[in-house]
Amino acid sequence: MRTMTRLTLTFAAAATLATALATTLATTLAATAAIPPRPEDLKFAPLAFTPPEAKDYRHTLKDGTPVYMAPSKEFPLVTISMSFKGGSYLDPADSPGLASMTGSLMRSGGTTSLKPADLDEELDFLATRVGVQVRDTMSSATLNTLTSNLETSMDLFFDVVRNPGFDQGRLDVQKGEAIESMKQRNDSADSIIDREWSSMLYGSDHHEARQPTQASIEAITQDSLRAMHAKIFHPGNAIIAVSGDFDPSNMMARLDKAFEGWQRGSPNQDPPAPTVQVTPGVYHVAKDIPQGKVFIGLRGIKRDDPDFFPMLMMNDILGGGGFTSRIMQSVRSNEGLAYSAGSRSNANPWYPGEFRALFQSKNATVALALKLIDDEFHRIRRESVTEAELETAKNSFVETFPQNFASKEAMLGIFVSDEMTRRPDGYWQTFREKVMAVKPEDIQRVANKYLDPKKMAVMVVGNWDEIYQGNDRASMKDFFNGDVTHLPLRDPLTLEPIK
Amino acid sequence: MRILAAVTITTAIVTSVTSTALAQKVEVDTVTLDNGMTFLLVPRDDQPNTIAAGWLAKVGSVNERPGITGISHFFEHMMFKGTNTIGTRDAKRDADYRAQQKGVRDEINMLTWTDQYGRYFRGEIDDPWNPVNDTPKLKELRAELKTLMDRQQGKAFGDEIAKLKTELAQVGPDSEGAKETTERITAKIASLEAEQSAGASIVKDEFDQVYTKAGGSGMNAFTSHDLTFFFINVPSNKFELWAWMESDRLNDSVFREFYSERDVVHEERRLRTESTPTGTFQEQFDSMFWISSGYSWPVIGWSSDLNSYTIEESQRYWDLYYRPNNLVGIIVGDFNAADIKPVIREYFGRLKSGAQQPPPVITLEHKQVAEMRMKAEVEAQPSVEIRWHAVPFRHRDSYALDVMSSILNGRTGRLYKTMVEGKQIASNAGARTDIRKYAGAFEISAETKGDATPDQLEAAIDEEIKRLQTELVTDRELQKVKNQNAAEQYRRLQSNFFLMIQLAFLESMGGWEEINEENAKIQAVTAADVQRVAQTYFKNENRAVATYLRKQSSGASRGGVAATVADDPEFARLPAAMQPMVRQAIEKLQLETDSAKLKEALARMDQQGDMTPSPMKPAVDYIRRKIEERIQQLDVAAK
Repeated sequence: MRTMTRLTLTFAAAATLATALATTLATTLAATAAIPPRPEDLKFAPLAFTPPEAKDYRHTLKDGTPVYMAPSKEFPLVTISMSFKGGSYLDPADSPGLASMTGSLMRSGGTTSLKPADLDEELDFLATRVGVQVRDTMSSATLNTLTSNLETSMDLFFDVVRNPGFDQGRLDVQKGEAIESMKQRNDSADSIIDREWSSMLYGSDHHEARQPTQASIEAITQDSLRAMHAKIFHPGNAIIAVSGDFDPSNMMARLDKAFEGWQRGSPNQDPPAPTVQVTPGVYHVAKDIPQGKVFIGLRGIKRDDPDFFPMLMMNDILGGGGFTSRIMQSVRSNEGLAYSAGSRSNANPWYPGEFRALFQSKNATVALALKLIDDEFHRIRRESVTEAELETAKNSFVETFPQNFASKEAMLGIFVSDEMTRRPDGYWQTFREKVMAVKPEDIQRVANKYLDPKKMAVMVVGNWDEIYQGNDRASMKDFFNGDVTHLPLRDPLTLEPIK
Repeated sequence: MRILAAVTITTAIVTSVTSTALAQKVEVDTVTLDNGMTFLLVPRDDQPNTIAAGWLAKVGSVNERPGITGISHFFEHMMFKGTNTIGTRDAKRDADYRAQQKGVRDEINMLTWTDQYGRYFRGEIDDPWNPVNDTPKLKELRAELKTLMDRQQGKAFGDEIAKLKTELAQVGPDSEGAKETTERITAKIASLEAEQSAGASIVKDEFDQVYTKAGGSGMNAFTSHDLTFFFINVPSNKFELWAWMESDRLNDSVFREFYSERDVVHEERRLRTESTPTGTFQEQFDSMFWISSGYSWPVIGWSSDLNSYTIEESQRYWDLYYRPNNLVGIIVGDFNAADIKPVIREYFGRLKSGAQQPPPVITLEHKQVAEMRMKAEVEAQPSVEIRWHAVPFRHRDSYALDVMSSILNGRTGRLYKTMVEGKQIASNAGARTDIRKYAGAFEISAETKGDATPDQLEAAIDEEIKRLQTELVTDRELQKVKNQNAAEQYRRLQSNFFLMIQLAFLESMGGWEEINEENAKIQAVTAADVQRVAQTYFKNENRAVATYLRKQSSGASRGGVAATVADDPEFARLPAAMQPMVRQAIEKLQLETDSAKLKEALARMDQQGDMTPSPMKPAVDYIRRKIEERIQQLDVAAK
């Protein structure tokens, strides 16, 4: 008799029963005889899991700043992660790249009392890691240190976050690096399609698409960095997470001290929604490579949309679920037309995200792969998905659910992000029920509502003549009457179309 | 993971900062089955409800030979195609389809290796494997193979049934042997219809579905030079499912979809190598650098070999390398070792040992005697990559080389200080050791900044090398690296998944125990050791240098043809009718990398100079000037 429990194994020779040790320690019996003929015949102990609640980990500093803490003695390391509301959506219209540069200079530009090289040297010698990143809608500063160096490391970390030096020499070096990496913008099909796709979907002025130019980078000054730093990095925007080997009450006192005299400004506004709509059709950007890279999609939904869960399941069945998804089977597994193929449905917390199918295939079979994906769009709108498919999709979300909370850092990350984006309380407590409640007819309904191929844009980066030609089974004439808009490549430094 | 011992192994105090390097031991419970399969078990309590599980086959591209390059990686793909239980609803019928497919494909291969290769050698066709060059016989065979693959999937019966019915209708009632013919065709139709109604013999991607439904996530595999590793995360109550699925595919693997999957691998090769800015060049540099060892061909294999794998060759590979005596299971996460050991014994104990031990890798890397250079023009940032032959896993010099790479790297490392910040000629620069089972390399690379050239980067790197050879590194630099290494001992253990991958790599190269032994060896490295290895390995006759210049191709960058031409007032002054022709000529010109050819072209133009019709003269003169510029550009690059 094989008896598996999480903590104890009862393996008495002729034992017939194992005792349930506690309600949380699920215990079950399994047949001993032979290896069962099929995996479905296996019996598993139930995995009782209740998602942790944010409030059990949440504290506040004297000034009101939220702090989530989860101590663990496993390794002599501490991670302090500060998240700030604010990101490149705050860039002034004429200064794309400023917020992002503020993040990199905070880390590389020293502090008001420490020269850049001295700060770097101290951190490296202590084997302490400090990172500052400004992303689209959220920014962060992170410390990871040996517990033995916690005191010194925290001093240096808060010096970086509160009193960045923005050293002119380092600013020049970083500007140079930014411009060098700009020069590589047209080198890979990936970077070309990402840029053009975002521009089309969100509008080139929206922060999802807006990119720096040589001129906007060169115009950055120490003053503009200081202004952006002041706008993002203050307690009014901050939420803190601490994990690792530390003493919670000492940590709270230490953080209160680090926050002393730090002006609490008002929080930044929410990131703005895009204002453009996708114009359906086929778009092409020239790149001489043996494969075409293709995106197909349109505007999606917001995270709090009532259709969120049906969309989640629909996308999983259609193209999000890896090898078990329809697009992967049809394009890769049945026909061998692509190594990667699938779809994603991003539901943004602030504004409607996007639905996008994507693949990369040799030029002659781009049209065929596109046709197969188009067929799948039609099929999921026309026919109900099978119960078996839906069950696989649901189970995959429900069964992997506990993993989201397995590491303490990941768990705190969820709490911080939820508070920052104002996710309603209790969301995770009912997550699995909401997944299980999705019905086949819901999936067909949302597919009809959101996945109209006539409303989609198709973007292709590659060698058009060969792609257009296709093969004996499909050509690009099969889509939008063979019409195509050729988008010019953009100058990597000015982003102006190349004539 | 529990901390078994926190030992102070060094207390060097070099500055005001006190540094104590601690060592953390990874506690591994090792189980070896009678059939030779070993399991490394690392229970951890800090990440509840999940287990990272995988197994490695000690085989990679280094075990291949010309003709079957890439087969290790192809095997990795094959392993997801199921068994006689998973992936089929009728194992017998599925096996019949596979046997028929094999017959047809063997014929295709033989015709290609003989006739098509012959036509290729004589210059009659450009690619012996491209179906557009098929002979009528090959075309027929390829169609037949496609039909067989479709039928395995329950498709493509209709046409043939319709054809037979037409044939049947045409059999004259009084013709000779009418009865026999009618019976024969009728029987054939009946058998096809029965086959059709039985449906597909294959169940697509069932292996993946079973796991997905049970909460398995991140299921994948990778192949490297020295190993192939298959892994997944499963909920902690589903360990037995993992044991079922993995032991089933090791016990009873079938080569299903053998011929369609290679198209997927071709696409993977196009995606990873051919469609990336430097992929094909890196491949060439690798195969130039490794002289004799099995590291000289790419893991994904050469295209001709990818097309040529046979079932027999695959079976031989399987029998040698995928037997339990060459496999190691690695389990990290939320479990109790005593719980899972009986499960492991029951499921993996059924695997039969291989009849032969895997053959040893015999060919050593031949000693390099002269510097090697590659000059490439690519759509990427200009850069230089310098690679020296160095040492394999656990070589006594590998630790000093490792310390040296850390002294060069990072924002306080020497390369950043001198090349990025000091001279401001590099946008980034880095060093790395590439340590493999049977050989190793040390590499320094850098990308240019502004107008700097790869030659300048190379000179700056040479200066750093000279410094390492002539001066001892400082105590502070050395201690900093040791401190970082000690902290890394903890950081790299935090994720179950990452820990599993590290154990896999170390075990494949020679022993997982290195994870507990490496830090002490790093802490023991002295400044004199670093100087000695710099003197030993950094010799010009022991290195290969790759120089990448930006290819000035059509519209690829600001310096590209479209932009230069469009911005050029001289071009604008040319008659509009000639502009497209001139633009095309310039595009071609920019792709030409042989300045000798351009000089020839120039000479020809000079000879014809007097005969040029006068309306054409401005265009011809413009092209001539551009050719001269290009020659100059190439000659400068060649210096």
